Amino acid sequence: MEKSGSENTQEFFNLWLKIYEDTFGKLVAMPTLGPTREKSEKMMKGFSTFVNLYTAWMKSNINSQSVFMEAMHNMSEKTTTEMDGENSPEKYRDFYRIWIETYSETFKEFLKSDNYASDNGKLMSYFMDFQKYTRDILEENYLKPMNLPTRTEIDEINKELYSLKKIVKELTKQIKETSEKTNTSVEKPHE
Amino acid sequence: MNKLESIEFFEKFKHGTELFLQSPDFSVGTTPAEIVYTEDKMKLIHYIPTVKKPYPVPILVVYALVNRYYILDLQPDKSVMKKLLDNGFDVYIIDWGYPSGISKYLTIDDHVNGYINNAVDKIRERSGVDKITLLGVCQGGTFSVMYAALNPEKVKNLITLVTPVNFDTDKGLLHIWAKSLDVDKIVDYYGIVPGDILNAGFLLTDPFRLMIDKYVGLIDRIECEPNDTACQSRNEETVKNFLRMEKWIFDSPDQPGETLRQFVKDCYQNNLLIKNKMVLDGKKINLKKISMPLLNVMAEFDHLVPNDASKPLNDAVSSSDEETLVFHTGHIGIFVGSKSQREVCPKIAEWLKPRSLFAEAGKEKPVSAKSREQKRTTTQGEHNNET
Repeated sequence: MEKSGSENTQEFFNLWLKIYEDTFGKLVAMPTLGPTREKSEKMMKGFSTFVNLYTAWMKSNINSQSVFMEAMHNMSEKTTTEMDGENSPEKYRDFYRIWIETYSETFKEFLKSDNYASDNGKLMSYFMDFQKYTRDILEENYLKPMNLPTRTEIDEINKELYSLKKIVKELTKQIKETSEKTNTSVEKPHE
Repeated sequence: MNKLESIEFFEKFKHGTELFLQSPDFSVGTTPAEIVYTEDKMKLIHYIPTVKKPYPVPILVVYALVNRYYILDLQPDKSVMKKLLDNGFDVYIIDWGYPSGISKYLTIDDHVNGYINNAVDKIRERSGVDKITLLGVCQGGTFSVMYAALNPEKVKNLITLVTPVNFDTDKGLLHIWAKSLDVDKIVDYYGIVPGDILNAGFLLTDPFRLMIDKYVGLIDRIECEPNDTACQSRNEETVKNFLRMEKWIFDSPDQPGETLRQFVKDCYQNNLLIKNKMVLDGKKINLKKISMPLLNVMAEFDHLVPNDASKPLNDAVSSSDEETLVFHTGHIGIFVGSKSQREVCPKIAEWLKPRSLFAEAGKEKPVSAKSREQKRTTTQGEHNNET
């Protein structure tokens, strides 16, 4: 049986990943030496972060490709049965309705599968790792040497401000309550 | 596609483009209102009453942090707010605003026991009443449930609209996806989580309909001949209404990270709220503390908050006066669909009116166990998949 497009992509990617892990992957995972070892190691870590993201992205792409093909297959079946065997339907509206319904239904099944949730969760997680890595490198190698404020430093200020604001609100509330109590007790003898 | 149909389609497309080229002027949230309290980014908005003597118990509407509150006042003829005002209520709503860097550390507790509580106190002070009606919508409903459980002495009635409280369901895609989400990584990286990320998630729940069919549908609705002026004016309204909704959908405020983290972990992943195990600032939320009248309103075709996520609230509270209404509409249709104006708002008003008379509170009819059982779940209207 002839292979579908997604199987070929999967096969090619698996081969690429194996070659990467056996060659370049080993090189970048090698411990570094010398005065710049800390920085070099952090830089090299970026490769594995990227490969994780790329792997998850490819998996997601391959899965989507399969679903598209499944939807196309379903579509072809429906146009054959629902449109009296005419593969090139006369009426655009009917064709469009079948297309949107078939694709929506097929993708709905895919999107609610546990596999999709788990793969998408991983993709998002690796994307965040990669984004964080890129930001850390930018801060470390560009912003800090140029003596510019970093996101980490701004966050520290934000956190401090948040805590102070909370304390101010609490104290204001206490002052209001105390002054209301005092006013009431001062006013009482005149009542 | 035959030739005639293709010509017809491109004619419509041309008319649609012409209407867009005129840059139609459309506005949202036009019901007259005033800002009566602000705190950080939050604003408390008071709608100007349309009757001389509104019901004494005011309503505070709490909307979700996701998207903006004006969906409840999208246009004059599709406004939940206006309907409530015209039914004689005194109505307030919280506008959460657009969070920025400093908001990233705000927790659910800051929203519930901070902003909502201060808004409630402000309304009590202005109205001279001890208790108000809390009407929570979607995530705002979840916050309202938390608030009502922690502060029952300030809540006269609780109304929840399409509100999730039980997150352990596989009926909604968001519930399924959230289980596998590493929210720590997202919040740790962004701090303030971009609204666009959440929007992408919402669009993915039905990608072909929400990203293609919706726009094709708009062209389809533009149906007139070029010289038919009455029809052209209807077209203009169609385009304006579409643009109002489009604006609302993509007007997505970023999310305070710590709030999102807790919401995903405590609610979506661990389902603590319905188990009475959720804790805000050291205080455990016990839903049995909710003993005030409760109206739980749901949309049968809700793809974001399935009924399984909302229904269990009635059994979790101790209110003897509680009711469920299910409308044959969707998550958004319940606010802006034709059913919303025709059925949802009148039903809410009908339920709320006798419960908003403080002076006549004693006259409220006690609900018998039998009628309670009959009343508990009422499905409204006829089948009409309005989303």
